[in-house]
Amino acid sequence: MRIHHHPVLRPLQRKEINFTFNGQTYKGLEGEPIAAALLANNIRTLRVHEESGTPRGIYCNIGHCYECRVTVNGIQGKRACLTPLTHHMDINSGEILSTAVRDWRKQHDHSL
Amino acid sequence: MTTHYDVLIIGAGPAGLSAAIEMKSLAPHLNIGIIDEYLLAGGRLLGQLYEESKGQWWNGFRKSEELRQQIQQLNIDLFLEVSVYDLIIKDESVTFFTERGRMTSKYALIATGASEVPTPIEGWTLPGVMSVGAAQVMTNVHRVKPGKQGVIIGVNMLSSAIAMELALAEVNVKAMALPLYSIENEQHAIPKVIFKQVMAAAHMAPSLLAKLGSKILFTDHLKDFAIQFYPKKGIKMWGIPIYMRSAIKRIEGEGKVERVIMVDITTDGKEIPSTERAIPADFVCLSGGLTPLAELVSLAGVPFYAIEALGGHVPLHNEQMETPIPQIFVAGNVTGIEGAKVAMAQGRVAAQSILLRFNQSSKKQLQQRIAQVHEERRHAAIQFHPLLEQGREELYEKWKLEQSQ
Amino acid sequence: MNNQSSIICRCEEVSSKKLHQVANEQRCSARELKLRTRAGMGYCGGRTCRIAINKIATHYQATQTTNLPLKYQAPIRPVSFEQVGTGGELK
Repeated sequence: MRIHHHPVLRPLQRKEINFTFNGQTYKGLEGEPIAAALLANNIRTLRVHEESGTPRGIYCNIGHCYECRVTVNGIQGKRACLTPLTHHMDINSGEILSTAVRDWRKQHDHSL
Repeated sequence: MTTHYDVLIIGAGPAGLSAAIEMKSLAPHLNIGIIDEYLLAGGRLLGQLYEESKGQWWNGFRKSEELRQQIQQLNIDLFLEVSVYDLIIKDESVTFFTERGRMTSKYALIATGASEVPTPIEGWTLPGVMSVGAAQVMTNVHRVKPGKQGVIIGVNMLSSAIAMELALAEVNVKAMALPLYSIENEQHAIPKVIFKQVMAAAHMAPSLLAKLGSKILFTDHLKDFAIQFYPKKGIKMWGIPIYMRSAIKRIEGEGKVERVIMVDITTDGKEIPSTERAIPADFVCLSGGLTPLAELVSLAGVPFYAIEALGGHVPLHNEQMETPIPQIFVAGNVTGIEGAKVAMAQGRVAAQSILLRFNQSSKKQLQQRIAQVHEERRHAAIQFHPLLEQGREELYEKWKLEQSQ
Repeated sequence: MNNQSSIICRCEEVSSKKLHQVANEQRCSARELKLRTRAGMGYCGGRTCRIAINKIATHYQATQTTNLPLKYQAPIRPVSFEQVGTGGELK
């Protein structure tokens, strides 16, 4: 997936480093956004929707949509598209959270 | 580290960077800071790449790096990876609330650029579906292909420019087509409307859609070529078939994009039954064009006007890039969708207006910079709307009206 | 003729169908449509879906003169209490 030869753009000079995503180790380039490093490893699902569990990946890639938010070194809500990769970075997807009120509504409000 | 500035600029894109360079070069004693939430300076300029004339490339990535180096040499504080989440204007100064604390300045230039208009379509939350700008940034800035094979949904200036860039990077784009009609996608889904825009673009983007426009004319030798004669199998540009008589109905896949479903449509955008077929894809780009990203200007209390030719709701401002709020100036795509060179020229105008407040410029210098905006606009490689100049005039009229009250 | 199977608000997973149904029944402003459906009230603050919500609300209104687009409210980015609590100086 990486572009090594481009007819116009000069190649980027970046150091290869290791990072983990959901416990598995991958290689990425230092300083590139987490989202680029994951895509280069053919990983598209960055998190699941907190309620429905539907998979989500990058959408806007410039920090507006927050679809790519992941937990980075224990800090939640980091945008993978804006956060530069560092050596040994530990990245995790979020989980499905319980939404008791919504679940109750689903059973009682039939217009939903 | 100081948190008090003479001027703070929000947005390290072409407008913001040019404004900072202009101000600091002419008035080195001014304390100037730039804030941007991205990890590189350059904004949307970073991903831009097109051939201006034979062998001459507008390389946004390199240009961004040059601007960043100038910023560094001039000792301008550049804060990257810092999001601004609020501002207040009090005691004749502006306070920005950022992820890393507060920053204040006497004057502020808001150059937050534009965001992309989505075209919501069934299946667009699947991983692998992204805005067309997202694919551009992945490809041209980070040098990672958005996927092995993909489809672009939405035919407009932005998506055409990026389709060409993807083709250049040998990203396999199998089709470019309209989204199937829905009320939310109305502006992007009616072939006869889009077709007119493409034909109008023939005069506005010599290197882009114009080629498609002239190709159509050339192919059919018809003066009044109409959408009903547009070939069903599309017309190829940069090796990518561009469809206007077929639309994408939905995106499908188990947990990720695997295919898009295409249908034939009438010239009004109505689906023709029993024409569904699948195109295998592992990525999809959506594009509804660009619209000014005006959140911060709005919080500052600047009034807005909806002007279609400028890309949507734009903050009230004049040709000097002043807003009705004396501390707030604007420049770049937040004032209307145009190319990077116009944005840079606008940044220099805003810089001159701010310098005048510090008695560091002259009306004459300001006028010269305004003239350069007109010059850049006339020579723009891409004009995003045929009525752009009228749109600008319309807004300046609103300004005059507001000032006279 | 409307393809309504898509989601409009990605954060709160509000469908096009739901938005059209409520907008049709209520003939309300974009703001009311948002409050009734939660579309635009999720994590991203409506940054991705606001244009579509405005469009749907406007479509069902008899006169467009009363139509006000959704306004922006601070904070325009999700922000943690730790960040809000950080006083004057830059970290």
